[in-house]
Amino acid sequence: MKGDVSARQLCIRFDGRDGPVTALAPTDLDLKPGTFTALIGPSGCGKSTLMNAIGGFVPPSSGSLTLDGDPITGPSEKVGVIFQQYALFPWFTALDNVQFGLKRLRLSRAEETDRAMAALEEVGLTAHKDKYPQALSGGMKQRVAIARTFAFGPEVLLMDEPFGALDAQTRLIMHSLLIRVWQKHKATVLFVTHDVDEALLLADHVHVMSAAPGRLIRQYDLPQARPRTMRGAPELLDIREEIIGLLHPAAMSA
Amino acid sequence: MALNETQIRTGGRSFGQMMTGVGSAGKPLVSFGFVLVIWTAVGLSGWFPESIFPAPWSVWSATVEMAQSGVLWRDLSVSLSRAAVGFSIGATLGVGIGLMTGRVALVRTLLHPFLNLLRPIPAIALVPVAIVWFGIGEGSKYFVISYTVFLAVWFNTHHGMQYVPETYLRAARSLGASKVREFAQVVVPAAAPHIFAGIRLGVALAFLSLVAAELSGASSGLGFRLQEARQFIRTDRMFSLLIILGLLGATIDMIVHRIGQRLVHWEQG
Repeated sequence: MKGDVSARQLCIRFDGRDGPVTALAPTDLDLKPGTFTALIGPSGCGKSTLMNAIGGFVPPSSGSLTLDGDPITGPSEKVGVIFQQYALFPWFTALDNVQFGLKRLRLSRAEETDRAMAALEEVGLTAHKDKYPQALSGGMKQRVAIARTFAFGPEVLLMDEPFGALDAQTRLIMHSLLIRVWQKHKATVLFVTHDVDEALLLADHVHVMSAAPGRLIRQYDLPQARPRTMRGAPELLDIREEIIGLLHPAAMSA
Repeated sequence: MALNETQIRTGGRSFGQMMTGVGSAGKPLVSFGFVLVIWTAVGLSGWFPESIFPAPWSVWSATVEMAQSGVLWRDLSVSLSRAAVGFSIGATLGVGIGLMTGRVALVRTLLHPFLNLLRPIPAIALVPVAIVWFGIGEGSKYFVISYTVFLAVWFNTHHGMQYVPETYLRAARSLGASKVREFAQVVVPAAAPHIFAGIRLGVALAFLSLVAAELSGASSGLGFRLQEARQFIRTDRMFSLLIILGLLGATIDMIVHRIGQRLVHWEQG
């Protein structure tokens, strides 16, 4: 099984106005194939930077970053990305958006359409296939984005606060949809969020990052069966308290 | 004070209600009617001699005269084909070079500063050069029009290319799109609203520069006819030609705008 991400002393610096800025302090991180890892931390802590590095959008300044043993040198179809702003192409219909990611597979036209339709069906949007993104709700847009990304079978799936713009109700629906699709495709998921409950309900592993410059300060392994609820697992409530304490140390001592 | 505000508001509302009664399509007609009434009143008053400020009916009969003699239709077709040829050359080059300066660093370095320097030069200032280069035939008109259109379309295309959202590019790359497909299916559509704004501006500028080119050194066309009317102090004809130019420009702009809304349907407002 593929989709093995490994970071060793990975460090990312940018050139700021007053010299270099460390966005990510040297970090070790392993994402084992088929696991679901959530990354949580205060805003501006570098969690998106870490994700962008794995996506190949930002080069490492030092340290190593590999996928299945090969260094990550740029964006590749092995790594799918789901953005908070959906990043659907507004000039394409839902179906065309999904097909866009399938083009590189050089399927026949019929096969390509069938596969895209199957992906839309998985997220329950067959009826909306000919709509443009502007005509879809936020939740529907993100479902198209999920279909588009899973359709071409990436080994690793990066999600950058994907449900951050959605209301609580839609978010719950998206959680169960994501878990269902993920369990079927078994990609390695890295899920960035600032919502502690979201991390605890979805992930196998939760990493907590410190404020800038970001580094991983605590890891939790969550063996609880899905679907989870906070009430159904009291130990999750304890972990939640701990994480909130880590994220807002000042608030806890006050 | 409070009373005043209420009065103002009530006044606004009743005017608004009057307008909604007319309907959005009829609003321009209200404005035209208003101006026509004033114009008629001025004409009837006899304050100005006809040679300075002709009355609406004089302008109308001048229009009928030009239409019946066939001069108007010949001028219209000559002018429109000049604008069309000049626009096509300028817009094609503008989009093509804009796509390149927006996307290819070498081309941008070579051309962007120079083209920016050309932008403030008004079309009419080019007419003497155009006449030296191309004579007073069609060539010089095409040159002046296409030059003006080119700069406007190039500038907007170039800037549209600069503002392609980074997430679109990242999404395309992570979806395994080749460079060619990224360009054709992501960058160009993302820049399309800007490109189209440039084209719409280019159409308007084609008319402006057309008249500039025809005012000096032409033997036909609406601009020439304006110049000829000056020599014979036919102010009625001038007014007629100016109104025709205005209506023509507004109609074409509306058509281009409609086409644009169809082509870049995803861009609201």
